[in-house]
Amino acid sequence: MKLRDMIEISVGNLWRMKLRASLTISGVVIAIAAFVSMLSFAAGMEENVSERFDRLGLLSTMQVYQQRSTETDTTTLNPLDDGAIEALLKIPGVTLAYPYDVFDVTVEIADTQFSSKAQALSGEAARTRLFSQFLAGKSFTSDMANQAVVTESFMEDLGIDEPDSLIGKKLIVSIGVSSLDSALAHLIESDGETFRERFSRIDVDSLIDSREYLKRTYQKELSEATRRFLEGYFGARDKIADTLQITGVIERTRGRSRSAPILVPVQTGKLFSSSGFSGNPLELLSTIQSGTFFESAPDPSSKSYSRVTIEIEPTVPFGPVKDSVTALGFRSFSYAEEFEEIRNVFVYFNMVIGLIGFLALITVSLGIVNTMVMAIMERRREIGVLKSLGADESEIKLLFLTESGVIGVIGATAGIVFGWLITRVASFIAKDVMVSKEIDPIELFSLPIWLILAAFALGLIVSLAAGYYPASRAARVDPVQALRSE
Amino acid sequence: MNSWLKTSRLCRYYRRGPQEIRAVDNVDLTVRRGEFLGVVGSSGSGKSTLLNLLAGLDTPTSGSIDFNNVTLGSLSRRELSSYRMRSVGMVFQSFNLLHYKTALENVELALYFSGTSKAVRRERAESSLETLGLSDRLDHRPSDLSGGEQQRVAIARALVKEPEILFADEPTGNLDHDNALQIAELLAKLNREGLTILLVTHNLDLAGSYCSRIITMNYGKIIDDSSGTRGV
Ligand SMILES: Nc1ncnc2c1ncn2[C@@H]1O[C@H](COP(=O)(O)OP(=O)(O)O)[C@@H](O)[C@H]1O
Ligand SMILES: [Mg+2]
Repeated sequence: MKLRDMIEISVGNLWRMKLRASLTISGVVIAIAAFVSMLSFAAGMEENVSERFDRLGLLSTMQVYQQRSTETDTTTLNPLDDGAIEALLKIPGVTLAYPYDVFDVTVEIADTQFSSKAQALSGEAARTRLFSQFLAGKSFTSDMANQAVVTESFMEDLGIDEPDSLIGKKLIVSIGVSSLDSALAHLIESDGETFRERFSRIDVDSLIDSREYLKRTYQKELSEATRRFLEGYFGARDKIADTLQITGVIERTRGRSRSAPILVPVQTGKLFSSSGFSGNPLELLSTIQSGTFFESAPDPSSKSYSRVTIEIEPTVPFGPVKDSVTALGFRSFSYAEEFEEIRNVFVYFNMVIGLIGFLALITVSLGIVNTMVMAIMERRREIGVLKSLGADESEIKLLFLTESGVIGVIGATAGIVFGWLITRVASFIAKDVMVSKEIDPIELFSLPIWLILAAFALGLIVSLAAGYYPASRAARVDPVQALRSE
Repeated sequence: MNSWLKTSRLCRYYRRGPQEIRAVDNVDLTVRRGEFLGVVGSSGSGKSTLLNLLAGLDTPTSGSIDFNNVTLGSLSRRELSSYRMRSVGMVFQSFNLLHYKTALENVELALYFSGTSKAVRRERAESSLETLGLSDRLDHRPSDLSGGEQQRVAIARALVKEPEILFADEPTGNLDHDNALQIAELLAKLNREGLTILLVTHNLDLAGSYCSRIITMNYGKIIDDSSGTRGV
């Protein structure tokens, strides 16, 4: 018997039992639609995340930090200085290494003045994807240019909505404070954190219990206070101001790759950073401890950074690079690693959804079994006739399997379409909500081809599996009994 | 010629609890090519069982059936299906037409399993129905046909495969006198055209007037084998 004939007969039979068949098929449709829409959401999320990570260049960068100081042994800490950057650059696969070279500044734009942070960035670093997500304008033209790029958070600090309006604006950046009063102010409040808050963090119980902790805490607070005071005071003698032109506004940088709100070319940045003290307390502390504090401005080459970002060639695996960084005595963090974990979460999520969908389909398959068994009981005589006409057992079996297969194909196809419609409606609503909350609307769903194929295969396989037992039963119907005239 | 369709010590037993029912019991029968064999006997005497065995629809408990020097018992399941498809035509008392299919579709159904193309199927089914005088009933469903017409559709379905032998199990049992006569006439005509027919009936008159030979069954055994009133 030809497959075409079988399909024709099967469709005819299902058509004849429209109500029953459509109820059974709608079960498949619902299960497949649920499966498709849920996995479509997961696929959409995964795409969004990976697309974002990738667009921001996060998948090819690694952040390098100084080893965390253990309480007992602080002497062997490898400083994250220019020498370290040289060493990092020698690691195979590393194309770029640049520090998070940041300093406190006072900025003046239009009539507003406020304190902020600026970060010096080499031209190479500025060209990486991390700093290329322009909302407006472009990057600075050279390492020496009196230009600056600001971030979205700078815009917010300023209370500006339109990034374009900032382009070409003059930005006066100054370092140092103008009076002793300001030095004191700096001592009492910095980084938006007051003295009181700092002290509230100290663990009182430990203070009572441990003299060691007490000593350490006082030492830390005292040196911090001294640093702040001195910084303010010395800064007062040394006020440096420069007028920069804003050339671009970039998207907010986040998390461990966060940059300062103001980015300046590396030479322009040197003007500020070499004249004052860096914001790194470790450095100041070491200056005080080594007695070099009252000497001339610190040698910039000995300056150490809180973090160095390295760019890795996309084709180079992260593992060996990470190992080399560790071997140099540094800690590292990469979004690529994080992303692997996120990806694992998605795999897990997909499996759970797949399982739920599968269980739903199992339930549906019981419906198919029921429909087919009933069909066979009703069509015993027909099976007898077919056998008397020369149908083989295998043909009868195939005939009924085709019938459940047709249920699967129709159900899966309609289920995929229906599931897709659900995602369209959900996406429409979600985008509406996002717009109303002034979030850039993103597409939450994705329907990759593998998902369509998987849903189709699943619907078909489950239907065929469900149809197998009834079909075998149909094949074994005794024609003599079936044809007996009652 | 003598060994065309032949049974030897053919038995078909049923077990009903402790009781053994010998539906067909040690039957030695030879059906000759071209004959119109009537099988009569009271209800439950094993006529249908014998017919189903010969048609390859049932399997004997013991004994054998030979057709064209081939023992049916030695055939694979698929070969036995093929025997039913090519060599055998069957007609039943209750017609056994598919009620949801038209007359034409019912007849076409017989050609599905031989892999005949759709166009040829249609053509052969039409001509088969035409031969039986049903050309204006092609698109009627069984429920729109009279009993006699339904049985003619069933005969058309059996004949469209061009079988070598036609097994008819009480084909007139559900029909009134006139229709029964018509069907009997039809079978006799087909027999004259060369078709071998095995007709099971409990209508002795009918068997007597049309069959070339009559066997009588009782309790699964052939108790009488005559050459009938007309003789050959
Ligand atoms: N499947 C079965 N199980 C038990 N007994 C059966 C079965 N089929 C037929 N029989 C018995 O076999 C005997 C012959 O039946 P059957 O061939 O139908 O007789 P007939 O056609 O001559 O009326 C009867 O006694 C009947 O009850
Ligand atoms: Mg009978």
